Amino acid sequence: MPELDVSIQPPARLRLMTTLTAVSEAEFATLRDTMQVSDSVLSKHVAALAAVGYVNSRKGIHAGRRTTWISLTAAGRRALSAHVAALRELIAGVE
Amino acid sequence: MESSDGLPTPEEGAVALAEAEASRTMLADSLVLRSWFYAAIGAAITVQIATTALGHADIGSRAGWLLPAGVVVSVLVAGIELAHFRRLNGVWLGGFAGRVVGGPATAASMSYVLSVGAAVWAGFDQAWWLVALCAAAGGVAFAWSGRWWLRTYRAEPAAHGRGKSAAWLAVLAIVAVSGLVLLVVGR
Repeated sequence: MPELDVSIQPPARLRLMTTLTAVSEAEFATLRDTMQVSDSVLSKHVAALAAVGYVNSRKGIHAGRRTTWISLTAAGRRALSAHVAALRELIAGVE
Repeated sequence: MESSDGLPTPEEGAVALAEAEASRTMLADSLVLRSWFYAAIGAAITVQIATTALGHADIGSRAGWLLPAGVVVSVLVAGIELAHFRRLNGVWLGGFAGRVVGGPATAASMSYVLSVGAAVWAGFDQAWWLVALCAAAGGVAFAWSGRWWLRTYRAEPAAHGRGKSAAWLAVLAIVAVSGLVLLVVGR
């Protein structure tokens, strides 16, 4: 049985982490617009993933205003890779 | 909805994975450049190659300053373009910074080295039209390489997106420019 990571199991978190693999760092609003979720939903998922060390969030400035920059950590990248492999195994099991 | 043991069903897993990949593709496809981005980078590299060639040619006592001046111009243009890219898109893309602007992509590196070599050789021979031609060819090739990298990145964003941080590149640029200035001052 494939072992899925419970921290990444909610689809929105899988989307968030997968989206972050495309860049080194993304601004909060960019992620929110790409994922088409509300500020509160994104904040909640970022906080949950930051709590397990999968993403890093830091305060910064973008276009002259204070904002939050989010990036994947090395641990997050490894966890995502393992989770996606497990998910593919699960999917392949019925094909 | 999840299966009874807490695992998603294979169908749910497939949908979640497809949506996640679509989201990543959407972000990669949404990244935009200023309309004159490639022209600016190409022009900066052209200036740098030309000043390098003139700096090595025997054109008087001030020739030594041309080389660091060209480097300063290209570093400034690169910094400005990267800042605009970050502000425009709300992302830092290390692969873009390192390979499109910094130029270590294979095609850019090779064309750059060849162009500099040819331009310096032409400069020694005082064939100024050839210096200009080599410099322009190097600038065009560098810009083309950047365009090619962006296409490759969009096809596989996860494989090509990572690279050096902004702070690391800034330190590298400062060290490079300082080193060149010290070299010229110490002559």
